[in-house]
Amino acid sequence: MKKKLQFLGQVALLTGIYLLGNKIAAFAHLPVPGNVVGIILLYALLNLGVVPLEYVQDAADFLLRHLVFFFIPVAVDLMNWGSVFYRYGLALALAILISTILTFLGTGYIAQRLQKGEKPCPS
Amino acid sequence: MSQLMVLFTILLTVGAYLLSKALYLRYRHPLLNIVLLGAALVIATLLALNIPYQPYLPGRRIMTSLLGPATVGLAVPLYRQRSLLRRYAPAIVAGVGLGSLASMLVAGLIALAAGLPREVMLSVLPKSVTIPFAVEIARIHGGSPGLASAFVVATGTLGSVFGATLLTWAGIRDPVARGLALGTGAHGQGTAMAFMEGERQGSMAGLAMTLAGITTASIAPLMVRLLLSH
Repeated sequence: MKKKLQFLGQVALLTGIYLLGNKIAAFAHLPVPGNVVGIILLYALLNLGVVPLEYVQDAADFLLRHLVFFFIPVAVDLMNWGSVFYRYGLALALAILISTILTFLGTGYIAQRLQKGEKPCPS
Repeated sequence: MSQLMVLFTILLTVGAYLLSKALYLRYRHPLLNIVLLGAALVIATLLALNIPYQPYLPGRRIMTSLLGPATVGLAVPLYRQRSLLRRYAPAIVAGVGLGSLASMLVAGLIALAAGLPREVMLSVLPKSVTIPFAVEIARIHGGSPGLASAFVVATGTLGSVFGATLLTWAGIRDPVARGLALGTGAHGQGTAMAFMEGERQGSMAGLAMTLAGITTASIAPLMVRLLLSH
């Protein structure tokens, strides 16, 4: 029982930080989403020791383990978008393919260059 | 009646999640994507029962109410890995920064050149970042959350099927660089592949996934202005 209440308290704390992130983003007219502000806020609070890891980690681990669940109802929106894939499928496929290849190569090359001092391990 | 509908849509979505997850865990194939498979099951059931999209919305709102708090929870793994974050700071900043920039710029320019409608173009920009960020980035700039989530899954599937091979082919063997590329280019799906390569690759990919979301959200306003000015 106590564990359950603690867990709910952790969810409430995460929710509070999320809502605060939204408020800050709206109040300061930031062009970034509130959830991004919320992450930065929680990361700062953890580093400053204001929020100990034990206050959020059980709820965070649980929600992150099931994060994919929350994506399904969002993706159901696709029901309204069938014609877009029909009409622009090729252009979209090219945009996604080329952009993804270049992202992989760009990140991989520059990170490897900066890592040259480190010995690569054989895994 | 409408409350029954809410209950039905939620149970349907939970059932679709559990089934797709069981299938994925059984076969572990990157093409068996839980998001796409789950959404396809829900859409197919709604269509078969002649239920339009509107009645799904109240249940959708209830189910996604924890998405924001869950996303904020991504700060926890970031904090746990803070020593890696410091140790590999130059590679992380440069790799994630360049990758996020390249992803949006290239996708945006191709979408622009192909004459895609504005709403579709704005939804393809955040395709390399994990869904909770992509959905919000698309929404605040005038794109569609549903489309954005589909492009994210397409990117992640592509990246998890071909990403590791592409990196090996390009001579990128350093585990830190591989992890960063998989996380920056293919978010959570790439991170899952990186963990299969090893602990180091997986941790770096997880860091890169969250940081790419933050970076992409931060440079998106400039990118949108640049692309729409033409």
